[in-house]
Amino acid sequence: MTRRAPRVGDRAPRLVLPDLDGVVTALEDLRGQPVLVSFLRHAG
Amino acid sequence: MKVRRHADRLERVGATALFVVHDEPRRVRASLLRDIGPVPFPILVDRQRRAYAGWGLARAAWWRVWLDPKVWVQYAMLLSGGSRLRGTGDDTLQLGGDFVVAPDGTVAYSRPQRRDDRPPVGQLLAIIDEFV
Repeated sequence: MTRRAPRVGDRAPRLVLPDLDGVVTALEDLRGQPVLVSFLRHAG
Repeated sequence: MKVRRHADRLERVGATALFVVHDEPRRVRASLLRDIGPVPFPILVDRQRRAYAGWGLARAAWWRVWLDPKVWVQYAMLLSGGSRLRGTGDDTLQLGGDFVVAPDGTVAYSRPQRRDDRPPVGQLLAIIDEFV
């Protein structure tokens, strides 16, 4: 089920995913630096 | 993905970027990366689209995508430039979005897509610059 998008000031939702090589990256591990998170519509 | 050209600027201010896709890695390599070249940030794969849902990113109505004249103009430009048509991936209706997460883990900028729109890169970089 789709939740509402986070608003400014909200705690960022969890983001833990593998990269193209299977290496898992967690947004939480990047705490302390600003992070641009960009979800793409599709890779085509 | 235009922000990849500004990797040096992000690095200078101690920021980074994460890109999230829902297509198969094979397709991302064969299509996206072939078109734009290497991306100096992690490209994360969300095949189940749980993260898309968790960040509130919906799917568009089919008519909003396929009856949008801009889509057909883009196709026409690609074809006239010599590109060949190819598959469009798993789900052409999934919408994306752009967010800036502050160093404390809160959201500093939120822009879920309503259609095929993205904020200008300069706007995203300006928000990130505020943390310097």
